[in-house]
Amino acid sequence: MTTTAVISPLTRIEGHLAIHTDVEKLASGDLRITSARCEGEMYRGFEKILEGRDPLDAQQITQRICGVCPISHGLASCQAQEMAYGISPTNNGRIMQNLIFAANYIQSHVLHFYHLAALDFVDIKSILKYNGSDHKLKSLRAWVEGALARNDTFAAAPFLPRYEVDQYVKSDEANWGLIASYVQALRMRSIAHEMAAVFGAKLPHSTALVPSGVTETATIERILAYKTRLNQLATFIEETYIPDLVTAAGAFPQYWDIGASYGNYLSYGVFRLENTTGEKTRKFLPAGTIINGQWKALNPSQIFEYVQNSRFSSSSGLHPFRGQTEPSPSKGYSWLKAPRYDGNVMEVGPLARIMVGYHTAGFEWIKKEVDAVLGSLQIPVEKMNSVLGRHLSRGLEAKWIAHQAYNWLDELEIGGASAKDYELPKNGQGYGLTEAPRGALGHWVVIDNYVINRYQCVVPTTWNCSPRDDKGQPGAVEKALEGTLISDVKQPIEAGRIVRSFDPCLACAVH
Amino acid sequence: METRHFTRREFMKVGTILAAGLSLPVGAARLFAAGLEKLVKTTRVVWIQGQSCSGCSVSLLNSMDPEPVDLLTQIVSLVLHQTIGAAQGETFMQTLNRVAQEGDYILVVEGSIPLEMPQACVIGGRTLEEILVQLIPKSKYVIAVGTCAAFGGIPAAEGNHTHAGSVRKFMEKHHFSVKNCLVNCPSCPAHPKSVVGTLAYLAGHGYPDVVPETLTPRMFYGHSTHDECPRYHYYERKLFAKYLGDPEGCLFKLGCLGPITYTRCPHRQWNNGVNWCIRASAPCIGCSSPYFAQRKDFPFYRKGELQHAVNYTENERKGEK
Repeated sequence: MTTTAVISPLTRIEGHLAIHTDVEKLASGDLRITSARCEGEMYRGFEKILEGRDPLDAQQITQRICGVCPISHGLASCQAQEMAYGISPTNNGRIMQNLIFAANYIQSHVLHFYHLAALDFVDIKSILKYNGSDHKLKSLRAWVEGALARNDTFAAAPFLPRYEVDQYVKSDEANWGLIASYVQALRMRSIAHEMAAVFGAKLPHSTALVPSGVTETATIERILAYKTRLNQLATFIEETYIPDLVTAAGAFPQYWDIGASYGNYLSYGVFRLENTTGEKTRKFLPAGTIINGQWKALNPSQIFEYVQNSRFSSSSGLHPFRGQTEPSPSKGYSWLKAPRYDGNVMEVGPLARIMVGYHTAGFEWIKKEVDAVLGSLQIPVEKMNSVLGRHLSRGLEAKWIAHQAYNWLDELEIGGASAKDYELPKNGQGYGLTEAPRGALGHWVVIDNYVINRYQCVVPTTWNCSPRDDKGQPGAVEKALEGTLISDVKQPIEAGRIVRSFDPCLACAVH
Repeated sequence: METRHFTRREFMKVGTILAAGLSLPVGAARLFAAGLEKLVKTTRVVWIQGQSCSGCSVSLLNSMDPEPVDLLTQIVSLVLHQTIGAAQGETFMQTLNRVAQEGDYILVVEGSIPLEMPQACVIGGRTLEEILVQLIPKSKYVIAVGTCAAFGGIPAAEGNHTHAGSVRKFMEKHHFSVKNCLVNCPSCPAHPKSVVGTLAYLAGHGYPDVVPETLTPRMFYGHSTHDECPRYHYYERKLFAKYLGDPEGCLFKLGCLGPITYTRCPHRQWNNGVNWCIRASAPCIGCSSPYFAQRKDFPFYRKGELQHAVNYTENERKGEK
């Protein structure tokens, strides 16, 4: 017997997504997802809006593709322009870009774990049993009790209503701890944004990013403003975020075996360590690909976007330098294109970066760190391809980036040049490859007669949540949902957990 | 904040008086404060995202005085929010229908609306257009949060395919009255102080004094950034910054749009006051203006101005015709 299970809209991600699945009832009575469709349900057309504009507008306009990861778009655009203009960043400019980016990474990872994903695991109703002395938790309990006492239809909104399933954390103490962390994390993510604004002017959407660097100057006052906040975040990551991840993993060990995708990984590498652009640039986390278990260097000419099942009438299978974006609203089933690498479906994101780093020569420190953590959890590295593997990757990365940010602060030359002056070329082309918190991000720009002739963005969630390509291969998330056992077709919380482990950003993916 | 209906401090004060009267230790004041909160009926808010980047929602989470938890537990009851709410799938759509039936809420719209391509924004299998037609008539007020919702913003820029438009255009298209109902809170993203301040003002005091052309609350959008700019003295002395990143000089010749942009940025700055565009030597790009990013031939920066043909003038950038 077959039926369907649907999450539409799939919330607590960025943007507009629906998940439709086919479900079969096994002889054992279990319900199993046999196939899934990821439907991106919004479109704005940034690439068309950019055509004919001053190329310098692009690092501002493309940031507005996404309010969660604007810095990634701003920096991809700056790097594409640097290549097109034939310029390189200043040392301080590159380092301040890294510091702004690091702050936005930490913000994004903390937001994702606590404020997007955690409500799939934490039993928010356990607050009614709270009997401890934390005044924030006591006022939360009073707030919920008050709303219930006056029969408010929407008591404890927006934390209720939720899927009412018997699948939340059982221990009250563990729930209370996670709720307290949720509240603390709200302030922590906002401190991370303050840290980004120290060099980036404001967040979301930094006006300080420019090709070759930033407009802000590295002064002792700015460095201290950053470092004071970094101290708080580094402590939070080590003493709260990572222990909470371990608590969640301990409560839901089955999620080491749920949500595996193809196991093909793509990373463009992130945080430039030298003042150049392009895929050869040395980076803090490396570029590379893993296909069928084999590591290979990144080759950007192998990237193509397919649209047979997408809401676009443009030609299929184009490289982004020749990419087209012509909407056709009733065609296909998603506003996402289907990017493929040499024809392969690739997973991108923190897990992909870590698995690529794990196998990259010269990055043995990544393997050592990952093996140490997995050793203490007694989990083999193969199980990283799972819901918990993706969450753990985010936590580890947040820790590494916070540590590395201290080094970048030390490398700043006080008062050093933040950016360069340069001539804008009449014609040119370039691409910028970086990694958003949620995965590989590339911008391709062609400039003709001083204005943008073509602009194409190939975005992390376009890789992960893509629809089927012209060969019918399901996207990475669609694949990860296949075979999943669910307990209730009306409330498929297991599917939601899998999708959220990828940290989808649909505004990015559709752009 | 002077516009808040019930502040936590007020609760604490009443709680302290009660505790003192009963000769209880001052520490007990907190419990009384918590108890009194049960009596408060907060204003319902329904937050819907259209063609948005969620940046205004993320910006709201950067709110200080009040912080987000205080906002959600003491000032408003956020019934629905796509990014942070627990509800998903059918649970989300049932809640949406239920609140629409009960009415009596402030509707917040983030993002523009695809006026001529309804399939370009769908929530739970229904177009944004259908959902707004259901929600707007039962709302007490509508707030258009961010420049996309207020004026169309980047999705509505020249060359767009979806005919994206503002909440005002949408309401006018469907013959809903905007008078004493719609408030615009532009800027990209919306500043948390404008959004929280407007919510609290509507909840406690009703419709605010707005600039008629833009429907922006005068208390947050009454002055141009240029008029209140800390670099105004450079402008007076005609000392201009020479390149992007120049820490000295007025940024006008680099493209600064402060003269045609109305916000309180010079005073309240961004991200808890740590920085803002002009303090960071970044020209204002006019993100709260109805003209933000609209024309292809009106770039943010003027670097390319001498190198390629442009048909905008310095006077347009100053707001003079």
